[in-house]
Parts: sequence; structure tokens; C-alpha cells
Amino acid sequence: MGLDFVGQGAAETDGNIITTTIDKVVNWGRKNSLWPMPFGTACCAIEMMATLASKFDLSRFGSEAIRFSPRQSDLLIVSGRISIKMMPVLKRIYDQMPDPKWVISMGACASCGGVFDTYTLIQGVDQFIPVDVYIPGCPPRPEDLIDAVLQVQQKITSGASPKGVESVYE
Amino acid sequence: MSEENQVEEEPKPLVLEKLEANHADALLAQDESRGTVVVVIHKAQAYAVLEYLKTDPELAYTFLVDVTAVDNSQMESELMQFDYARFMVVYQLYSYQGQGRLRVKVPVHENDLSIPSVTGLWQGANWLERETYDMFGINFDGHPDLRRILMPDDFDGHPLRKDYPLRGRGERERFNFDKQNV
Repeated sequence: MGLDFVGQGAAETDGNIITTTIDKVVNWGRKNSLWPMPFGTACCAIEMMATLASKFDLSRFGSEAIRFSPRQSDLLIVSGRISIKMMPVLKRIYDQMPDPKWVISMGACASCGGVFDTYTLIQGVDQFIPVDVYIPGCPPRPEDLIDAVLQVQQKITSGASPKGVESVYE
Repeated sequence: MSEENQVEEEPKPLVLEKLEANHADALLAQDESRGTVVVVIHKAQAYAVLEYLKTDPELAYTFLVDVTAVDNSQMESELMQFDYARFMVVYQLYSYQGQGRLRVKVPVHENDLSIPSVTGLWQGANWLERETYDMFGINFDGHPDLRRILMPDDFDGHPLRKDYPLRGRGERERFNFDKQNV
């Protein structure tokens, strides 16, 4: 987490003084309270719901506060097929999310079009919005989504900028 | 064998008897498909026949299940049956009066893609006809709001036509976000 205990040795200060940087504390907070914006358009969304429900319980990782307003979220989960009619909506929702924001492309359809190689389907949302973590699968299991959230958390801890942001840690 | 004989002895469906009696000139063909009566109707009389099917008290096909179309342009055997009409508009009807299901087909030529709208008979035809317009480019005369329903408003072409490429004409790669009003 980037916290260093100092003052070892002297009894009155032992373990009571912590040094860190603002960035690390802020990232620690961000990491443990990701607020997902669900963009569920197909069967992957069912798995997303299962991930949030009691059996898999995404709240164990601090990401249970699903917000249906993009302005209150910092993690976009694209779960499902995106048609050419839906893509402007998705782009607009992504644009409305405040920085810093992360994007998970959940499942084969969102990541590459899946089996739907047709005139109406976007062949991967990363052509139009930056994606941080891809999840393979059709649909992926809830464990895969949890793994993706943990990978986003790792990215945040490491201090790396999200794909869509030049740099937020100036 | 006994079952087969039984089928042959079955009386003619009431709807065919009544159509032959009242709209014989409109009836291009009649068939039976998996227990459903299929009739092919001339386009000029299509509205009158559909109105008759709905309003006749004995038939009473009050439920319009579906309106769709078929593009037969790459199916020579189908094309030549009805004077090389490229499209076949298909109405699926259902009667609660014991007549069951009925399929009404209307051949539509490519050089005259208009057909009367049946929204006046069945309100539910509204979106179904919009979908058929969107996918096949068939114009429904008298429709209150004939716009695309599935594809974006600025989409070019009718994707369920057989000459439309499966992977599109590049719509999914070229994208103009400014042009679309979300």
C-alpha cells in the first residue's frame, strides 16, 4: 500500500507514525471503493448480476456500489453486444464519467464481437473507447469478473494511469 | 396408413371455403404447412382480403401475430411461382374462434415496393411494418409513422435483403459520433 512505519525503537512512537504520499493514500481509497457503472446489454450482464449477488459478492472487494448514473461512477463494465446504434450511447456514457475512470470489457462480444461478425455489431469496443482490462469468455464466469476488478485494483495500486487518461497523477 | 387416410378425409378448412366463395379472384395459391393453412393473395386485393379475414364473424382472425417478409431473389424456384415477385410479405394471423392459425402471403415486385398498411385493422401492425420496412425496404402505404425501428436513422440500405453483405458495408468501422444524436 506504500505505507512505511517509522519511529521503530522508541516505545512511545513505535507503530504510531506513518509516512506515505498523498497519491498512495488516494489510490488506496480509489482501489477499495470502485463504483461500477454497469453497461449490460446481453447475457454477460446476467453473470455480472450473479457477481454482485450474495454467492459471489463483489462487495468483498469494495465494488458493490453499482451506480446507474455515469457521473457517480469510475469503473465502466461493458458486458454484452454493442450494436452500431448503441455505440454512441456507450461513448456518451463513458464521456460523462468523471476522471479517473477505468473500463472493463467483459466477454467475447464486447472485446471482439464474439460470434456476431455481422453488419450491425461493433467488433470490439476498444475501437472507440479505451479499455483497461479484457475478460475472455462467453459469458465469463463471475470469478472472471472478480479477477478483472482485482486487476483494475492492481493497476490503481501501481499508480499507472487508466488507458483513457493522459495522466492524473501529475 | 389409417392415419393418412384420415387426413385425406378431413374437411376443407373453413377459411379456404370462405375465401374461394368470396375472394376467389384474389387467391393465387393455397397450401398447408405443418398444420397451418397458407394462402397467397394478390397484392391489389390484399387489404380487402385481410379485412374480410378479420371482420368475418366465423373466421375472426383478430390477432395479428407477425408481419414480415422474405427475399426470394436468390431462390429461383420460389421466384417463378409468382411472376418473379422478389419479395413475399407474410402475415401470421390467429383466430380465437376455433380457426387457429393462418398464414397470408402477398407477392411484392421490386419495381413497386408498396403495399397497403394494415395498421387500420390491427394496431399491432405498426411496429411490425416498421421492422419490415427497415429490414427489407417495403413501403407500407398509409402507415402513420413509417420510420426505421431497429437500425440507426441514418443507416443506408436494408440489411435483410439477400444482396446486403453479411458484414455490412463498413458501417461498423466508420463511425461518425457527431452525426448521431443520442
